[in-house]
Amino acid sequence: MTAPVAHAAEAGAGADLLFDEAFLRRLGQLELASRRLTAGRMKGERRSVRRGQSVEFADYRNYSAGDDLRQLDWNVYARLERLFIKLFVEEEDVTVHVLVDASRSMDFGEPNKLTFARRAAGALAYLGLAHLDRVSIAFLGEGRAVSLRPLRGKARVFEVFRFLSEPRPERLTGLAAAARDYASRIRGRGPLILVSDLLDPGYLDALRDLAGTRCQLSVLHVLAPEELDPDVPPDARLVDNETGHGIEVTGDDDLVDRYRTRLGEWQEEIAAFCARRGGAYVSVPSDLDLADLLFDVLRRRRVIE
Amino acid sequence: MIAPLALIGLVSLPIIVAYYMLRLRRRDVPVGSTFLWQQLVRDVEANAPWQRLRFSWLLIVQLLIALLMVIAAARPFLTVSSDLAANVVLIVDTSASMGTVEDGTSRIAAAQVAARRVIGQLSEGGHVTVVTADDSAHVLVSDTDDRAAALAAVDGIVATQVPGDLTDAFALASALAARDSDSTVVVVTDANADRLPRVGIGAPVQVKRVGTTDGNQAVAALSLLRRSGGAQLDLFVAVSNPSASDVTRRLEIYADDVLVDARDLAIPAEQRSEALISSVPQGARVVEARLAGDDALAVDDRAFALVPSAAAVRALLVGPGNTYLENALALLPRLELYAVGAGGYVDALDAAAEAGKPYGIVIFDRTVPAQPPTVPALYVGPAAGSAFGTVGRVLDGPALDRTDPADPLLRFVDLSTLHIGRARAVTLADGMRPVVESVRGEPLVAIGRVNGLGVGLLSFALGDSDLPLQVAFPLLMSNLVDALLPSTDGILPPSVELGQPIAVSIDPAIRRVAAVTVASGEQLELEVVGGRVTVPGPRVTGLVDLQVVDDGSGTGGVSLGRTAANLFNPGESRVTPGDPARIRDLGQVGPSPGDDGLTARSEWWWPLALAGLVLLLVEWLLFHRPTRRAVARILRRGRPPAAARSSSSSMAGSPR
Repeated sequence: MTAPVAHAAEAGAGADLLFDEAFLRRLGQLELASRRLTAGRMKGERRSVRRGQSVEFADYRNYSAGDDLRQLDWNVYARLERLFIKLFVEEEDVTVHVLVDASRSMDFGEPNKLTFARRAAGALAYLGLAHLDRVSIAFLGEGRAVSLRPLRGKARVFEVFRFLSEPRPERLTGLAAAARDYASRIRGRGPLILVSDLLDPGYLDALRDLAGTRCQLSVLHVLAPEELDPDVPPDARLVDNETGHGIEVTGDDDLVDRYRTRLGEWQEEIAAFCARRGGAYVSVPSDLDLADLLFDVLRRRRVIE
Repeated sequence: MIAPLALIGLVSLPIIVAYYMLRLRRRDVPVGSTFLWQQLVRDVEANAPWQRLRFSWLLIVQLLIALLMVIAAARPFLTVSSDLAANVVLIVDTSASMGTVEDGTSRIAAAQVAARRVIGQLSEGGHVTVVTADDSAHVLVSDTDDRAAALAAVDGIVATQVPGDLTDAFALASALAARDSDSTVVVVTDANADRLPRVGIGAPVQVKRVGTTDGNQAVAALSLLRRSGGAQLDLFVAVSNPSASDVTRRLEIYADDVLVDARDLAIPAEQRSEALISSVPQGARVVEARLAGDDALAVDDRAFALVPSAAAVRALLVGPGNTYLENALALLPRLELYAVGAGGYVDALDAAAEAGKPYGIVIFDRTVPAQPPTVPALYVGPAAGSAFGTVGRVLDGPALDRTDPADPLLRFVDLSTLHIGRARAVTLADGMRPVVESVRGEPLVAIGRVNGLGVGLLSFALGDSDLPLQVAFPLLMSNLVDALLPSTDGILPPSVELGQPIAVSIDPAIRRVAAVTVASGEQLELEVVGGRVTVPGPRVTGLVDLQVVDDGSGTGGVSLGRTAANLFNPGESRVTPGDPARIRDLGQVGPSPGDDGLTARSEWWWPLALAGLVLLLVEWLLFHRPTRRAVARILRRGRPPAAARSSSSSMAGSPR
């Protein structure tokens, strides 16, 4: 696998900020795992459930009238005097869907969750393109999905980077409506990876709609360190980054403990939903090193092979 | 309560409560979303200026702190019985022996503890005067009922290095006690003073004795003599052991800070050992004797001596011949004595002038020259007047008046047993002063400067008195010669005891001099009055240099002499605590004030203040809990936060 180093100049300044050369080299060594082998329009590098024409032997079956004589195994006929047709694994292409939550709540944290999500999405998209999969990438925000047309081939990776580098954070989320919008327009089947903090009342509707597309759903649940382990002053007004509304709290140990408990319950709830739908749930702090995410966490979770 | 007005501070309690009831101005903290927080927060209330008072440990702690501080500021006390009168004169001994260190604690520190205790036991409405006593009295606070000020004064007390003398302090205490019949004098001391006040006090005296040890040795004497015409230096050292046990101490001799001799001296209990050391190099300027190792009192473990100049002064004795006088003058190492009869006086002067070796001093014994010499002169038993003044009638058996022991001419000179059969009444010339007088005021011994030259006088012939038979005679002659003869080593005596002032004559052209402590560089400027200046007694051991203060004449910084200051005080070196009854008996004996049911106030504000400080720390910890969380997070940095780690490992779904 060769990384698109020669095309680095095409990436533009935004892409330079997102990825460096060494990182791109390592990306080429990964492969997206498709939990459900699905049929596609073009031959790709993934194993399909269909038996077809390829070089990888799969099985034998008895010859029946009408079969392609080129598939007969003449060596077996010579030994057994029976006609068998060789079956090969047919390699199919899949569409990798990478959805990035572009809500204002994502534009928060140190490191910034949206920046982290963009880089993660760019890396995942590159992996898909490098393995000749079709990649569809979209931002979810303000009740709609803004997507890039499906791309194929490593040379298109810089289009992805440019798309991801555009300023995005939307004022309002409308995560459920945006997810429904994308799900209604989905074409190719394949892995669908949602990168979001899910801090939206309609997060379960969004997950339900995306899981209903029969794509393999993976949720990268991005939360900032200060959301995982908050430091609240004794007398504080918590100001919502999306709405600007504030709530007054007394930042004592009790409040923080209850927050942590609620956060854990919420994460378990999402994880359970994903598990029921055959998806994967990965909680990711935004200060996690991207290489660790791709080469360690996602591999262990079998989102990437 | 001593300061009930401080209870006004209780107003702060409702203010604190009101502060908690006021809606707080909260700090805006941005969060990505309040989605989760909204499900938790209980204290979202309407925007009223007041809110319901909720239980808060912070509030409780702050109320307790305010309460404790206010009560402490009001200075609560318990009433206890006291054996102190309303007026207390507290005398703290700060003499050299109070610098004794016992079990790691100095005696003066123990005295401070005892003094604080006395102040704490002051009766209700009582007042105290705090006085320190070394060789004189120093009032730190006078007649105050402000215990804090008295305690602060006690805290600042330090031990000096000078010998102790309670006379001044007792005189002061006596005067203070006389003003108030309800007085008690409390003396905090080790009670080892040799000299006790001769007068008593008209009030009860309590003695708080401090000190236990007697383990001390001291350099008791140190002197340097030139012998063999100045070719050899002999150092005499005496080391005393006032303690009750035999010891062996190592004596080290340093010449200009270079070790030149060291030897072990075995010193029996309550005795002294002496050593004569001849290894002092000729070129040395300062010799120091040092006792190696530690003992109870450090200040007497070192002594200094100046090496005398090798130059000698030619002295001419004019008279019919006097064995006593010749022997006394011949003993003086500075003098190279020549004698001549009255008729050969002029020829002797001429011969000396021709030889280029003039006499530096002339002593006239029962002889008076026609013209006073142009060098210092000492007249003994003159029958006629001369530079010293005029001679009058004969005095038969003049009785001596009391002498001033502080006069440098009478240093080590005891004339209490002197008897004079006959003397001459003398009217002193200007510039002369009497040193010893008869009870009628006739000068018997006098000294001064006339026409810029030193002139000394004994108005009686030695043969008309028993002075030559007295131990004091050679010492008096030595002191007279030292006073008359400008020393090549300077005008200061070679050695002086700590605390002992030195009166010296100085060129009247010099207006100001400075006594400079060589070790520290500290200097004390002194006014020269009538060609004389009194240098206050040195307060620390070491060398003192007398220098001319620059008055624009270009003579600034010129040294007029140097002396070595040493303790050399057996009473101070004997650190064994003395009998307190010796001092107690100086006071009035009678019923103690405690018998009259006096009460004292025992303040207990400090435990309250301490508790307040502890609570303040608790309050700080409570208030900064978020900071503690932040610190904990920083310590965890480098690893994924706990929530994330647990989520990614346990919550991820698995493929079907």
